[in-house]
Amino acid sequence: MKYKDYYAILGVGRTAGADEIKSAYRKLARKYHPDVSKEKDAEEKFKEVSEAYETLKDAEKRAAYDELGRHASGEDFRPPPDWERAYGSGQPAFDDIDLADLFASVAGGRRGRRHAPDGPLPGQDYEARVALSFEQAYHGAEVEFDLGVIEHDGEGGLRRATHKVKTRIPKGVVDGQTLRVPGKGAPGINGGPPGDLFLDIVVAAHPLYRTDGLDLHVDLPLAPWEAVLGASVEIPTPGGRVALKVPPGTRAGQTLRLGGRGMARADGKSGHLYAHAQIAVPTVVDEKQRALYRELAEHSAFDPRAHLEGN
Amino acid sequence: MAPDAYDAIEIEETAVVSVTELSARSGLSEVELRVLVECGALHPSQLEGATWVFSRRSLAVARTARRLRDDYALDDVHSLAILLRYVQRIEELEAELRRYRR
Repeated sequence: MKYKDYYAILGVGRTAGADEIKSAYRKLARKYHPDVSKEKDAEEKFKEVSEAYETLKDAEKRAAYDELGRHASGEDFRPPPDWERAYGSGQPAFDDIDLADLFASVAGGRRGRRHAPDGPLPGQDYEARVALSFEQAYHGAEVEFDLGVIEHDGEGGLRRATHKVKTRIPKGVVDGQTLRVPGKGAPGINGGPPGDLFLDIVVAAHPLYRTDGLDLHVDLPLAPWEAVLGASVEIPTPGGRVALKVPPGTRAGQTLRLGGRGMARADGKSGHLYAHAQIAVPTVVDEKQRALYRELAEHSAFDPRAHLEGN
Repeated sequence: MAPDAYDAIEIEETAVVSVTELSARSGLSEVELRVLVECGALHPSQLEGATWVFSRRSLAVARTARRLRDDYALDDVHSLAILLRYVQRIEELEAELRRYRR
């Protein structure tokens, strides 16, 4: 196992008091928290300082850490012979875990010895982030991903494990939604029910559709004559192309609604598709068209800026 | 061997958890949960007898609160409630921004 100098990581001396440790950690957390930091490697740095603080903030874990002795950072070491008996929770399994796992097991052992629950307790919930394409979210999908967990090894210790999990995602899920896979968290304690697995859904952006819950929005470019005269235009929807009737006199920015053509959930609830009219103009016109536009300009009394008069 | 596929389900709007279960599953104490409710950061879905019950969605909010508490070593729950509200607002704005960028 590689040694990590938790005191050096937090930038405090080995005799630092609890307040000094907390203050040093807070400063580093503000600097490196991935939610707010723009620093390179912020996430790695934050993991490192939070691992150090997790151990040093707890008097018992800190004592156990100090008992490991002083080593150079990165040096391979094994805990002293009596260490496991004093702080560990079962059979030592030092080869396949790191320092953070070792101290998680110190806490597990401590809880096991001093606060053994006498009634059933639900298992811990797991959480995973699942990235879906727009099409997967629309149609539903079967996805497989790796779930990293720390679990009991059956001999009182803890181990790091990765499980392949395959889940069926129902159709009509939206970005930011959380789904639940019942009973697929950690096993319960003393006969308690297992925890659940929660999936945080992230849906990739689609080049055409913008989503808002179950509703979809799409831009609808119209030729000037289509907007003025009205038209039947074909537009794409995730369920296939449909004909949309554009009423005469449609203005730019006007929204046309296609009821029930948004995302559809398995329970039958569905959103709408909103087409936002834009007036597109040709950038290249030939002589004949130019003449027609001129003729139109001469005949038309339309003043699009009438409302600006007098202002 | 390929694992079996499990069904992921929508979080039932009507399913509820007690304060005790919310505390056990989020890692926040019941006292912290009560302060978050008083500050308006968490909303109980109904009052059952003398105790609060929460929607399952509250679990995600409570977990975020616990993560913030631990990540920033916060020991004042009122500050935590304010920070939580800011984080929720940022998430809402980011979601809106993503929608407009599509």
